[in-house]
Amino acid sequence: MTDTLINTLTCENLSKSYGGVVAVRDVGFTIAPGEAYGLLGPNGAGKTTTISMLVGLLKPDTGTVVVGGADLATDPMAAKAKIGYVPQEIALYPDLTGRENLRFFCRLFGLPRREVRGRVEEVLDLVGLADRADAKLDTYSGGMKRRINIGAALLHRPELLILDEPTVGVDPQSRKSILDGLERLVADGMALLYTSHYMEEVERICHRIAIVDHGSVVAEGTRHELVELVGGADRIELTLDGDVETALAKLRGLGGVTEAVRTTAGSVRLIAEGGRYLLPAVISTVDGIAAVTAVEVVEPDLEATFLHLTGSTLRD
Amino acid sequence: MLRSLLTVSALELRTRVRDRTALIIAIIVPVAMATLFGVALGGDDPPLRATVGMVDLDGGEFPAGVRREVMASTELDGVLTLRDLPSRERAQSALDAGDIGAAIIFPAGFSASVGAGEGGRVGVLTSADTPLAGVVANAVVDRISSLVRARTLAVRASLDAGVPAGEVKEFVERNGAAGPALTLDNDPMAGGRVDLSVYYGAGMAALFAFFVVGASFRSLLIERKQGTLDRMRAGPIHGWVPIAGKAVVGFALAMVSVCVTWASSVLIFGSTWGDPVAVFTLLLAHVLAATAITMLVASRARTDAQADGVIMVISFVAAFFGGSLVPLYTLPDVLQKIALFTPNAWTTTGLTGLAGSGAGPASVALPIGVLCAIAVAAFGLAATGFRKGLLG
Repeated sequence: MTDTLINTLTCENLSKSYGGVVAVRDVGFTIAPGEAYGLLGPNGAGKTTTISMLVGLLKPDTGTVVVGGADLATDPMAAKAKIGYVPQEIALYPDLTGRENLRFFCRLFGLPRREVRGRVEEVLDLVGLADRADAKLDTYSGGMKRRINIGAALLHRPELLILDEPTVGVDPQSRKSILDGLERLVADGMALLYTSHYMEEVERICHRIAIVDHGSVVAEGTRHELVELVGGADRIELTLDGDVETALAKLRGLGGVTEAVRTTAGSVRLIAEGGRYLLPAVISTVDGIAAVTAVEVVEPDLEATFLHLTGSTLRD
Repeated sequence: MLRSLLTVSALELRTRVRDRTALIIAIIVPVAMATLFGVALGGDDPPLRATVGMVDLDGGEFPAGVRREVMASTELDGVLTLRDLPSRERAQSALDAGDIGAAIIFPAGFSASVGAGEGGRVGVLTSADTPLAGVVANAVVDRISSLVRARTLAVRASLDAGVPAGEVKEFVERNGAAGPALTLDNDPMAGGRVDLSVYYGAGMAALFAFFVVGASFRSLLIERKQGTLDRMRAGPIHGWVPIAGKAVVGFALAMVSVCVTWASSVLIFGSTWGDPVAVFTLLLAHVLAATAITMLVASRARTDAQADGVIMVISFVAAFFGGSLVPLYTLPDVLQKIALFTPNAWTTTGLTGLAGSGAGPASVALPIGVLCAIAVAAFGLAATGFRKGLLG
């Protein structure tokens, strides 16, 4: 009960099946005010189904969703009033202007008539589209559409902003602008639930991350906690020209190297604690046995964690 | 919640006004339909004039009575002209040549058979080229059949009661079953003044109502596709608001459409649709039923294209069976029974009954009641469909 009052979002035991196929199984997490929470998972992992249940578009088979103390099942109006939902597609009217779109959703969501005009201008400023507000949406660039798509979810001043892949198909400049804006919202105290295919986005803006696979949360924590799950060792990929077997044997005896394997005819993979600092010793160890023609040091990251936990890359 | 609903309705109406579909479907097409039917079928002359051949192979009192009654009928005066023909073959030749529009054939021994309580069979020849003459001929024969049945029943009852066979004829005639008494005044076509422009104009308005409300529900499915429906549903509004908002606009535009058809017919061509309150109430009930049926389709359709196709099929099937495309009375009995399941049939029948009759709303209570029942049933099924699909 205490959690429910403190957290902006508390969801527990969410499950959803379609004709015997489990889409989401026992998903649960909390998001505190001012916290950005990321949902990472490959396509079909259950992210969108989870979000659909959180915003009330789908009824869960089991589980509860409480938003700002309001139970979505028993008090949907109060719960939904605290949620801003940014769908994956540009869910706006292409033949209306940006301003007309925002005004429509202001009125639809019951903002007092006297506040509509001011709030629309605020949001247009927030998403940086005040100068294009009177152009029809179908004349906007992809990035501008994404920004106004987010703006429409902010009109009723939600406590929790839920974004489903909000930067798909936008240019790097627009992406930066969107992420900067989201960071400002979080800094102002808004809670964020963010799903994306882009690992670097999630790593940048999310305080905590849940990795979702086959409908379940397989790991949850801060970026650091998740990376720790697969250990802190660096991976060193060496390409050698010379006596590879002898070089490999020498490298196995090098202090700090926990694993050394031959991956292809001329390639060797080393796993080593603080591998990036071990590089000079690695090169001197093989000196005179084989020439190092290429080297790559891979630090432990979310991608590696994701690969470790789900057995696939995020974009599979 | 009302404000949210009106916001959805306002956007829907604005969209329809901006893309001019509102103007086209609510004003231009109804006026055009009324004008077309008015020019083609309206006017001061009685639209129904028929020359019907009469082949009397019986030579008895029954055909003579029919001829006498037809000639004396004020309802048929100026509408029906009888032309005597000697044989079925000659009647067929005259029909093929277009000299007559239909023919009624009394077989030999008809009067004797009826007099003996054994009934009788009257033949009718019709032509696809002159359907209205066929309607008149069939209407006359329907009346004859009623009389024959009554006469047959009376004769059998008399025989069963012990009246000697030789005295039955006199006994029956003395007791009021003397012979033909053709009164066709309850038949809407028999007055000869039913304006076909009203009939077809009303039929087209009934058909078009489906398309008008269908367009609104199609836009609901488009909103589902473009994601705006989910965005609305994720907001603090009731799930029914987008559906109701669209329905209100579809219903209102359809009402404007049918009323403009009606007003155009009356104001431009001076047609008489009957008591205004009754006509309006009937049109209201029809549009309500059309709204509910198209809503039902939208609740089950997966895409706007699928909804479009299904609404098109339903509209035309209902229009055909409901008399919007071909007169109800030309349909075979079995199709006329099927027609009772379509709102168009009740609307067309109600409007036809009102046209020129001077009857008030009470006379169309049954059609209005049935249309409302259709609407309630379809709304109920649509609600179930939306809960399982769009709002599930």
